[in-house]
Amino acid sequence: MVADKKDKRQKREEYRAAMRQEGASELPRKKFYRQRAHANPFSDHQLIYPPSPDHMDWSSLYPHYVVDAPQAQETLATETPVGQDLALVQPKRLTQDVEVADIGCGFGGLLVALAPTMPNTLILGLEIRVSVTQFVEDRIKALRAQSQEGLYRNASVLRANTMKFLPNFFRKAQLSKIFICFPDPHFKVRKHKQRIVSTTLNSEYAYVVRPGGVVYTITDVPDLHEWMVQHFEAHPSFERVSEEEQDADPCVHIMRTETEEGKKVERHKGQKHVALFRRLDDPVW
Amino acid sequence: MAIPYQVLKACGSVVFAARGSDIHSLNSSLEHISTWKYPVKQENESSGPVLEIQEPPEVEEGQESPAPEGRPVKRRKLQNGQQGKSNGQAKAKSGPQKAIERPFIQGLYATADGRHLVAITGSDKTIWVFEHDGAGNLTQLSQRAMPKRPCSLALTPDNATILSADKFGDVYALPLIPSPTFTPSDSLAAAAAAAAAAATASPSPIPTPTPPSSTPTPIPANLKPQADKFTVHTKRNLKALENQKISLDRRTATDQRPQFEHTLLLGHVSMLTAIHMGADARGKEYIITADRDEHIRVSRGMPQAHVIEGFCLGHEDFVGRLFVKGEVLVSGGGDDDLFLWDWLKGRLICRAGLLEHVKEVEAGAAKVAVMRLVGCRLAGGETGVLVVCERVPALFCYELLEDKTLRHRETIRLPGNPLDVEVLESSGPSPRLLVAVDSSASPGENSSSSLIVLDKGTEAAWRQSSVQNLPPAGEIDISTKELEKILYSTESLRKTTDFD
Ligand SMILES: C[S@@+](CC[C@H](N)C(=O)[O-])C[C@H]1O[C@@H](n2cnc3c(N)ncnc32)[C@H](O)[C@@H]1O
Repeated sequence: MVADKKDKRQKREEYRAAMRQEGASELPRKKFYRQRAHANPFSDHQLIYPPSPDHMDWSSLYPHYVVDAPQAQETLATETPVGQDLALVQPKRLTQDVEVADIGCGFGGLLVALAPTMPNTLILGLEIRVSVTQFVEDRIKALRAQSQEGLYRNASVLRANTMKFLPNFFRKAQLSKIFICFPDPHFKVRKHKQRIVSTTLNSEYAYVVRPGGVVYTITDVPDLHEWMVQHFEAHPSFERVSEEEQDADPCVHIMRTETEEGKKVERHKGQKHVALFRRLDDPVW
Repeated sequence: MAIPYQVLKACGSVVFAARGSDIHSLNSSLEHISTWKYPVKQENESSGPVLEIQEPPEVEEGQESPAPEGRPVKRRKLQNGQQGKSNGQAKAKSGPQKAIERPFIQGLYATADGRHLVAITGSDKTIWVFEHDGAGNLTQLSQRAMPKRPCSLALTPDNATILSADKFGDVYALPLIPSPTFTPSDSLAAAAAAAAAAATASPSPIPTPTPPSSTPTPIPANLKPQADKFTVHTKRNLKALENQKISLDRRTATDQRPQFEHTLLLGHVSMLTAIHMGADARGKEYIITADRDEHIRVSRGMPQAHVIEGFCLGHEDFVGRLFVKGEVLVSGGGDDDLFLWDWLKGRLICRAGLLEHVKEVEAGAAKVAVMRLVGCRLAGGETGVLVVCERVPALFCYELLEDKTLRHRETIRLPGNPLDVEVLESSGPSPRLLVAVDSSASPGENSSSSLIVLDKGTEAAWRQSSVQNLPPAGEIDISTKELEKILYSTESLRKTTDFD
């Protein structure tokens, strides 16, 4: 038994190592990336995150968007005011910022479906589970290698606990869209604080999303849908997007059909509940 | 075992000094005026002995709170959805803590007009409000047990509202004086109204959304499983639903919401360590909150506290304390430096080394944990910042310079570890300081020396004199280990490498 387990793990590791070889263009297989279903968003984990967005090095995630002229790097770098004592090694800058975030992206179905539809926008998946994140990394790498037209260069993934560290990655009003697809329901009332949508967390989404930007939600759990609708509608920084507008949004179609969870729900002939929320201007102060 | 004074608060010419769970008041000559004693009897009758417990009982088994006190609770695998050890058992075994009869005072705050004193006690999660007659006499007005342990309080400049920042990351607003017209709704209605808000999120700052209600049911909506087999399509969700069903019975008994007016203003998903009010040039108020995950957040004041104006990011370890002066903010915690911020712009102005000065006192020091940041007026009229570092027998004095930099000015060595420092009214140009010192480490010192006055007069060096004739310390049944754990809790905010 024990030997068997070890064997499996070894296989998994060998497989993943092989996947990570430079130039691997074969799509990764899910079964080598499975992980326990839930990670507690309250515990410390062993997360790596930048102290602030200024410290974030995006260059390895979006290598095709790195500002390459050293001079351009410098001028960009000085835009960020840095105190005299702060020995901040300026990370390489990108020609543009990430604007779309998929929170709890899972196996990355939405990312890879969205990327070709908005080739000039940087999209980032955020996922708390290590091996699931690795799967998405390998998946994007393979897709980039396979694409003749240079698709998927605008999509990437990061391991992060978004409930704690969103402002470490994104500046105020940096994002135009946030996707929250099939979030973990946390049915227990006592676990409601672990839900990815709450009155207090919505203030953080409002912080990173620019006025006019949209938060997309979808779930198969009616109660969670109601919960999300109530909490976003009750938050003064958001208003619900009308149904006509929602149905006309091409992202909604992709969100309904392309995420792994969405496909599962489809197979089980379940219902999918969609709600979009627009970030309003802050009130006069 | 004799315990030291652990919290000080000056209020006009009066100083309040907390020792264990008692609050003593002293006059300007530092003579004892009166003492408020924690109502131990009443507490024992109603709810039994108060335990200095690791976690409030409502915490899920296996769920780590944002705040570790002592060892983190180890995750336990649940078999077949079966609940692990009951919470009570888990608590009893989870640490070296034993019952202590009265919870310690963890913080003292005075309203700007000096007419009220507010205190937090630790293990009973209670906020106390006292009327202060201006002469050191306290009358207890209210006692409110919060849903989660308050870590730090701020009072709004109009003296009307207490902001309580708690261990689970939430900030609640409570009226200083509870309005007599507030009637707590009956438990069932209250539970139903709270269904929409998170377990800790009632009532909401924003009009509380109505709970998801289809048909009226005899039990509140939130006590029913919120999905059934037909609405759950994945294994993940199915498992979660099963767990929920199991926990329902236990919930009904433990669901206790405060029966007083309190409003959720904002929240971090991390233990809050400090909360302060700030104001911009136009006089607009802001709420500045700091957490264990290195964040300092700036939110608008009420009624727009849901708007986050910005963050002051750059700390690489926990933030422990804040000091706000006009448009600048000094922060300190587990990092080697103090940070100086333009808090409204979220801009780091500079850092000032702290560990290097700690090393001059404790050569072997490898890290610091800032316990207190207290502002004062220095001899030349500059703003000073006094820094207490956990288990370092000295006070570190920094000055805020005209060009908005922060510079170390001097280190004042002390006969024991300082627990708190407060600035007293002074007639001379130099500040007069009162320091609560834990002299238990230095043998031969008696307990009366645990308050020390530092003043300078016209001399160059600080004169240290211990305050005499303090009220007797009242023995308390607590081991040195337990006491240390309460008095020196800052270092435990540092994250250890706990791989999941
Ligand atoms: C049910 S899955 C949905 C995945 C994907 N969005 C889809 O629709 O296929 C929810 C995902 O959110 C992730 N998650 C949960 N809490 C998170 C957090 N605080 N930060 C980042 N990811 C989180 C989980 O690990 C899980 O992969």
